[in-house]
Amino acid sequence: MGKLYKILKYFFITFWAVFVVAPFLWALTTSFKDFNSVNGGATYIPWVDFEPKLEGWRVLIKSPANGGVDIIEPYFNSLFVTCTASLISIILGTLSAYALSRFTFKAGFVKNNDITFFFISQRIMPPIVLSIPFFLFLGAINLLDSLIGLIVVYIVLLMPIAVWIMVDFFNKVPREIDETALIDGCNPYQAFFKVVLPNSIPGLIVAGMFCIIFGWIDFFFAFILTFTEVQLLPVKIVALNSSITPWWSLSASALISVAPLIIVAFVVERYLSKGNLSGAIK
Amino acid sequence: MSKINLDNISHTYNPSDPEPTYALNPFSMTWENGKRYAILGPSGCGKTTMLNIVSGLVRPSAGSILFDDKDVTDLKTEDRNIAQVFQFPVIYNTMTVFENLAFPLLCRDFVKEKINERVNSVAETLNLKSFLQSPARKLTADQKQLISLGRGLVREDVAAVLMDEPLTVIDPDLKFRLRRKLKEINEQFKTTLVYVTHDQNEAMTFADNIIVMSDGEVVQAGTPKELFERPNTTFVGYFIGSPAMNLFETEASPNDCVKINDTLIKTNTNLSKLKEKKIKLGIRSEFIDIASDQRENLISVEVQKVEDLGNYKLLTAKTGDLTIKSKIKRETEVPDRDVKLHIPADKCCVYENENLV
Repeated sequence: MGKLYKILKYFFITFWAVFVVAPFLWALTTSFKDFNSVNGGATYIPWVDFEPKLEGWRVLIKSPANGGVDIIEPYFNSLFVTCTASLISIILGTLSAYALSRFTFKAGFVKNNDITFFFISQRIMPPIVLSIPFFLFLGAINLLDSLIGLIVVYIVLLMPIAVWIMVDFFNKVPREIDETALIDGCNPYQAFFKVVLPNSIPGLIVAGMFCIIFGWIDFFFAFILTFTEVQLLPVKIVALNSSITPWWSLSASALISVAPLIIVAFVVERYLSKGNLSGAIK
Repeated sequence: MSKINLDNISHTYNPSDPEPTYALNPFSMTWENGKRYAILGPSGCGKTTMLNIVSGLVRPSAGSILFDDKDVTDLKTEDRNIAQVFQFPVIYNTMTVFENLAFPLLCRDFVKEKINERVNSVAETLNLKSFLQSPARKLTADQKQLISLGRGLVREDVAAVLMDEPLTVIDPDLKFRLRRKLKEINEQFKTTLVYVTHDQNEAMTFADNIIVMSDGEVVQAGTPKELFERPNTTFVGYFIGSPAMNLFETEASPNDCVKINDTLIKTNTNLSKLKEKKIKLGIRSEFIDIASDQRENLISVEVQKVEDLGNYKLLTAKTGDLTIKSKIKRETEVPDRDVKLHIPADKCCVYENENLV
């Protein structure tokens, strides 16, 4: 029984690993192919099945005047917008979440849970509902087609995620930790920054990871709210497409666009598995 | 270290209700500097609320708290200079044991040398010295509770150390040693210790004074001896002591006697004003013995069972419908028949409406 279980377990893990890795391998090999290698039947192994070429990668950095698409600027635009919006969302979201977790708010029938739900509800409605208000709003303050405008919009989109995750996390951080810090001589701000926040690092990392992922992969708002001045990576990648699908450069751009998320996943994973909060009380 | 005065304190968690329920009914009390107090009572009786009021985590609905005659009712927790240890260990997970112990001193801007000296001294007392540089989160539950305790003891000048059932997670042997250690700390540094518990043995062995609470009310405060021998109410009699106090419903008879199953038992209480009133006679099982040469206050019983509990025997007997429990010496032989128990008049407590007469 034990042996069969072990065999099945490893079979499933291997199957899943292949399932996860295969698209990356496919994209990696395709990025080094040219038109003939892609359209001349299935080929897998470089130098054996096909002659690897760097054209797919070169297109990405060449200027449009030289027949390229130049994704470097959109790439850094995306990085800047995602990181800034995520950072601001995490800061604002964490403070809001702490307040919602520790203090009681009441305005008529609206209480803490309603306020938390209000934040989450921003993510429940379809994005299309928000597109026109955002467009008009950014237009009114002259921030259409600008990085700042995109950051403002992304904060609105990412902060609910941060609030949602952090409220849940702070609710699990025992109140006695705050109380002990007060008894030990901290004022409420010191208690938050010196004791509660360091204990909440796993929650902050999870919230940060989700903000970065959702910010990085957004195409819809980046497409609607920018035109010529500013472009983000997802919009630029889509612009790569033409009447003849350039699979090689699409694959290369897919790989470099997913690279930051893979790095984030590797960095974050070790913090998540530490389980820093376990045993703070009991 | 201060004298703590609780002046007409009461607290409700729903003050806006037309008829608020009180977690703590109005009471006044003084905790003298350098003494050991135990707050004893069943779960939900208001013990923790009382501690939280003293530490400032809860503001009382009414009344005032004075530390050495200074009103601190509206003073924030961090400004009260009080230490509190909770039922379950609360540690700062991201810090080492040393940093945990040093934290209260760092928050109060102590100099480095003083911090080192105090942390080392407390770690020595609590056997934590070898763990000082370890991450606090890696310790066992009882070691973590020692850290909580250590943070409470690391400041020498605290008004009082409040402990809310602090030894719940600690194994019995260490519990015993820690209680002794706390007593030593109290005797050495004259730190006022307030210890909340629902375990009467813990309270009796630890405290100079015990405050018994029930349903948000302070039922009785006194020395362990007073509480044991002269419980103010039947609740205290029942709650303190193992087994609980023997309580018999009865009526007053002439000459300060009460009738137990047709036998007159003399008491030392003046019962002249209680004629024909329903009263209760209370007597501890420790004071009831098998009659030898006594002539009065004897009651015939039928022995139900005798349990050998190691250092004593617990005799359960019946007289009519009433059950009497008596703790007798282990070497005492219990006769099979014609057993008479002696009830000493000076140990009898008489209760009217559950209150001591």
